[in-house]
Amino acid sequence: MATTMTAPDNVPGTAAVTVELPAGVEIALELRALSLWYGARQALDAVGFGVPARKITALIGPSASGKSSLLRCLNRLNDELPECRVEGEVLLGGTNIYAKDAIVHEVRRRIGMVFQKPNPFPLSVYENVAYGPRLLGVKGRRELDASVEGALKAVRLWDEVSARLDDSALALSLGQQQRLVIARALAVGPEILLMDEPASALDPAATLRFEELLHELAQRYTVLLVTHNMQQAARVSDYVAFLHQGRLVEFGDTDALLTNPRERLTEDYITGRYA
Amino acid sequence: MRRGSSGEGALWLCAGAAAACLAAIVALLVWLGAAGLAPFWPAPIVEIGLADGHTLLGEVAERRGSTLVIRGSERERIGGAYARIEADAIVSRDTPRDAFAVTLSDGRRIFGRGDPPAADALLRSIPGANASAPAEWPNAHGLFGRMGTFLRDAGRFLVASTMAPSLAGGAFPALVGTVVLVFLMSLIVMPFGVATAVYLHERRGFAASLVRSAIANLAGVPSIVYGVLGLGLFVHGIGADVDRWFFADRLPVPTFGSGGLLWAALTLALLTLPVVVVSVEEGLGRIPPGLLAGSLALGATRGETMWRLLLPAARPALLTGLILAIARAAGAVAPLMLVGVVRLAPALPVDGAFPFLHPSRQFMHLGFSVYDAALASPDALRGIPRAYACALLLVIVVVALNLAAIVLRNRLRERYRVLEG
Repeated sequence: MATTMTAPDNVPGTAAVTVELPAGVEIALELRALSLWYGARQALDAVGFGVPARKITALIGPSASGKSSLLRCLNRLNDELPECRVEGEVLLGGTNIYAKDAIVHEVRRRIGMVFQKPNPFPLSVYENVAYGPRLLGVKGRRELDASVEGALKAVRLWDEVSARLDDSALALSLGQQQRLVIARALAVGPEILLMDEPASALDPAATLRFEELLHELAQRYTVLLVTHNMQQAARVSDYVAFLHQGRLVEFGDTDALLTNPRERLTEDYITGRYA
Repeated sequence: MRRGSSGEGALWLCAGAAAACLAAIVALLVWLGAAGLAPFWPAPIVEIGLADGHTLLGEVAERRGSTLVIRGSERERIGGAYARIEADAIVSRDTPRDAFAVTLSDGRRIFGRGDPPAADALLRSIPGANASAPAEWPNAHGLFGRMGTFLRDAGRFLVASTMAPSLAGGAFPALVGTVVLVFLMSLIVMPFGVATAVYLHERRGFAASLVRSAIANLAGVPSIVYGVLGLGLFVHGIGADVDRWFFADRLPVPTFGSGGLLWAALTLALLTLPVVVVSVEEGLGRIPPGLLAGSLALGATRGETMWRLLLPAARPALLTGLILAIARAAGAVAPLMLVGVVRLAPALPVDGAFPFLHPSRQFMHLGFSVYDAALASPDALRGIPRAYACALLLVIVVVALNLAAIVLRNRLRERYRVLEG
């Protein structure tokens, strides 16, 4: 086991990973040799793959493999950390979000993010969802009402909260809060949803509902999901990327990768032999 | 077993200390309440026969050991008719039902016996006498009558303007001055304090921590030092310049170049800035970092996040800062004496004439009234009780302002309860 902990020489860099996608798969977000440093510590090393559009892609890997760091790179949240440095490119619709002329908050509006712990704002349910549209300058009550209702319906929360839109969002259950923050992200009209272990705080029943919701969202949105749970990755994702110590080890179709991994590291991890 | 019993002992010790604190606070409030309200309770008019054949008509102003101090009719000047009498010199003591008292407009008290025409005749016999109220016969009043007088006098103290400083009349100008000053101070200190706290919250690093510790140390600077600073910087510095530029036609009579409401409010704002900054910054620090990340992830800038999310979520902390600031400002008298408080202001700082608030006017303040009545009064027997009354009123004002802020804060806390848990 100890030998697998230190990245062996046969772990390929970006150039060596052959990302095999069926012909005709549309790529929503393309990572090219993405590297990330926190000060002197390198968290990501030349990660490159394409995130297929309107599919669910699961990011798996052991703790501290760089999954969350990668996710935070993709909507430039890492910019907020001091001493954080990014190299490489992330192409969104053909333009690099790390280009000099890229507008950070525009990038973040197009690439929404859902965090591990539900983080509803200490505002009413309505104001939580209306927060994003208000930032975009939407002021008309009718317009706001429409986008709030649309977003809450998209996450199947409308029926539960339509009678108490003015109540504090903090009074909702955890499962409802997690759907609320997804609705909040949807209300600004993103193309891609990044989710960082979004079901880890939920109980099994809420997790099940959440996974059903993911399938529905994937009809319209590209979802990139970090998960620790191999069964969840198998249940919900169409593609899987396996990260290990900041490097992309393998990327591919979920069924193929989980049943027949090409790399030894991947096999060890998904069969639970990884220490 | 030993550990358990020693823990119990410590618990009792702490409980005892808490009980002692509570008892001290209750005792202070009860005592201040009694001492502050006592001056309004009508004293009976006594007629005392002395061993040498004289009789004295007046109120008992003070009783110290076997000595009585009687306030007789003040025909010439206020505080000019006290008589000190030893108990063994008294041969008779009576409270005649026909004894009356008249309060003159300058606060003097005149005593006599008889019916209303007799009172009028007595009043006419005193040159320059100008009765502020009709004569009264307090000895003829029952308990309810005295209570009526008590309530009337206490109400008059609240709403009437001052006749002579530190002796007679109402505390209304001082009350208005105190409240207006605190409000103006709050309006100035809150934006500055919150903005400073936001800056310190956003900026990490050596410079920010230097500023932070400097501000924390400012909280310990004695208030009189702020008074000197306000006098030098605001009154003589900025005020003189303002006069030269905008009120040159009135010079050499200063407009802003002497102490006034605005300079006093600015001085108090400086004084209370540290407590606001510290409590707001702590409040911002308590907000879960997930809120910031969530807002940024929606495409909000840091500024938008601060304005739309973090500051509203930190409102309880803002109000805590405001409460502390009010408490410190209302209690600071020393700096005010240098920057605009006066014994007797010719006009209120707020009135019905445009621009309604007059920032250059000198003003009166309850805290200064306490000092003035207690130490600078020409008539100590009237001054000390009046100081208690002013102190009680000041405490009531501070408690009322704080209660308002606390109620507001608790309502906000209720909304954000989950955040704090």
